[in-house]
Amino acid sequence: MAAPAPEHRHELETIDLYINVGPQHPATHGVFRMVLTVNGELVEDCDPVIGYMHRGNEKLPENCDYRQAIGYHDRTDYLAQFNTEWTFCLAVEKLMGLEVPERAEYIRVILGELNRVASHMMWVGAFGTDVGFFGTPFMYAFREREVIQDLFEAVTGERMMYNYFRPGGVAWDLPDDFEEHCRYVIEHVRRGIDDLDALMTDNEVFLARCRGLSPVTPEQAINWGLSGPMLRACGVRHDLRRAEPYSIYDRFDFEIPVGTQGDVYDRYLVRMEEMRQSLRIVEQALRQMPRNGPIMAAGLKRVLRPPPGEVYARTESPRGEYGVYIVSRGGDKPWRHKVRGASFCNLSPLREMVVGNYVADAIIILGSIDIVLCEVDR
Amino acid sequence: MSEGAATDQALPPVLERVREALPDIPFQYVPTPLDPAVVVAREHLLPFMTALKEDERLAFDYLRCLSGVDYLDELEVVYHLRSFRHGHTIAVKVRMPADDPRVPSVVHLWKAADWHERETWEMFGIVFEGHPDLRPLLTEEGLGYYPLRKSHPLAEIEDWQENLLEEVERLAAVGAPAAAPEAVDERAQKVALAQKKAEVIKKAREEARAKGLSAEEERRYVQEALKRFEEEAAKEAAAAPAPAAARPSPADERAQKVALAQKKAEVIKKAREEARAQGLSGEEERKYVQEAVRRFEEEMAAAPAPAPPPQPPAAQGKAPLTPAERAARIALAQKKAEVIKKAREEARAKGLTGEEERKYVQEALHRLEQEGEGG
Repeated sequence: MAAPAPEHRHELETIDLYINVGPQHPATHGVFRMVLTVNGELVEDCDPVIGYMHRGNEKLPENCDYRQAIGYHDRTDYLAQFNTEWTFCLAVEKLMGLEVPERAEYIRVILGELNRVASHMMWVGAFGTDVGFFGTPFMYAFREREVIQDLFEAVTGERMMYNYFRPGGVAWDLPDDFEEHCRYVIEHVRRGIDDLDALMTDNEVFLARCRGLSPVTPEQAINWGLSGPMLRACGVRHDLRRAEPYSIYDRFDFEIPVGTQGDVYDRYLVRMEEMRQSLRIVEQALRQMPRNGPIMAAGLKRVLRPPPGEVYARTESPRGEYGVYIVSRGGDKPWRHKVRGASFCNLSPLREMVVGNYVADAIIILGSIDIVLCEVDR
Repeated sequence: MSEGAATDQALPPVLERVREALPDIPFQYVPTPLDPAVVVAREHLLPFMTALKEDERLAFDYLRCLSGVDYLDELEVVYHLRSFRHGHTIAVKVRMPADDPRVPSVVHLWKAADWHERETWEMFGIVFEGHPDLRPLLTEEGLGYYPLRKSHPLAEIEDWQENLLEEVERLAAVGAPAAAPEAVDERAQKVALAQKKAEVIKKAREEARAKGLSAEEERRYVQEALKRFEEEAAKEAAAAPAPAAARPSPADERAQKVALAQKKAEVIKKAREEARAQGLSGEEERKYVQEAVRRFEEEMAAAPAPAPPPQPPAAQGKAPLTPAERAARIALAQKKAEVIKKAREEARAKGLTGEEERKYVQEALHRLEQEGEGG
């Protein structure tokens, strides 16, 4: 049969097509759904639909006392548990005017930074799968994450929901061999990052798919409320650890990696460098940490009752600014407990980032945001 | 809002700048541990926020967080802002009466406000006027209530149901013991039957085990036992006279008891809310509630004559929902959900686009509301 003449092919009428991605879809990293309007391969509109994981994580702690609420933060961002617990504890400490003992601060920094590495590892692995490396980076990254999780398990007794930080300090002291164990982890992970680097960073396919994809300007990023690696990839040198130092971050020497283009590739580079910087911080903290001493502020009552007031505490979590806004009216429960999820804010301009790209690239763009749906939906 | 109170305090440098840039707009300074906060009147919010963003001296270009807060009689929206150019931060608070929850949207200033405002709208019922697309974000459409308001119960709803059930059972047992043994409602009967059945099954299974039967035989054995039990139960039911017709009106009695229990449950709920509002601890709250229940019971004992039977439907706006109202609301929401579903299916069948479909559904909802008002 003869093929139709080329001019006929041009006259073919095209119509807009809806593609429903998710909520059960391997590329959405959780129960997230986006309704794409596509014209051929081009995305013309994108309507993100969230809320499948909404459990009322803001309301529930309003019915718990302050220490019970910590567990809900583990479950808000389940990849950056220490960082979220930390933010909440920071909020309560600011409300009550608590001083955290030195050793507890160092413990928090070490665990928080390792948690950042573990979270980024998870991201690199999953992102590699998004881009098309099936399996290899995922396995490489998970090997390293596993090493870190072993350390966390040794400290807290838990693999995922640590519940280890408390307002005023940490729950109990580190195991005896922590320092040794931690140094082993640093060495192991450092090599692992190099492996991943060699595998991905200069890879031809990876470059072709990521470079120049969905560039975001600094002005846009700030107006959209992006934070964390998403914001830094756009060239904004903003890190809460430096810009609004909390805890003891003013004592460490580390760099804030920034990108130049704000594209997907820069987001990857920023995260890779952040892992190295986090390991640097951990090494310094291990050197400086007092070998013994109190790990909990003295004189705390069994039930915490912050005085009436309000505070918006924020920390630099792996995904960006994780904020906790607490209004206290003097009781043993927070009157209002708001969580500003970093990936909630990073995900909200998804439409702007995706429209105009190809469908296959939309998946990569979504992956590059590093969303945790539990934190988005709360 | 008194300007005098605001000027008395020593202002932090950021707020000095705000005052300099906005001499005409009064605000009240509220110190918080991290960011200086200001309270602004609602009518001044938009010019205030615009100046915060646009003025060179302030340049708050980053909206980091937007939260709603329910203070029972008032609602509040809190904006946390940061300036990348100057490195300073501020929290802007705007309050509104709970029965008039409107506030201008700031999406045109900070795109970041988009999802925050949608979420605050669905969780608190605060309408952000001028928001381009104020749809619910996390929950489905037509929820009919605002989950993060203090009036929306969390633990209370279970407690409330439990209290109600306990009370009904207690009254049923105490109130009319000899006269109405069958006053237990159908559900209780069913439960009792199910429990008996479970016992029969358990016993039969144990017997089968004791006899060392195989799994297949055991199943058959249990089935036979059940069959025997059911036959017996059917015989009993046939033999028993139908007592319901003979008795005067157990339903009325029961309704009264239920009403009493409901009243009690409401007293509990109210006391708990008051305790929450006063910021009492868990222990104190429990005591407070117990006290309220005791007072209520004393009142009921002092006035044994049943309360005026038909309760006038009080037209108070903010009173907590009675169970009937709640049921009506749920029914309405269900009806709405059905209408939405049907309209959506129709729209799909007609092949409408997403935008048209949304409009179609809204129209259907609108028709439903009009019908409700008409009938």
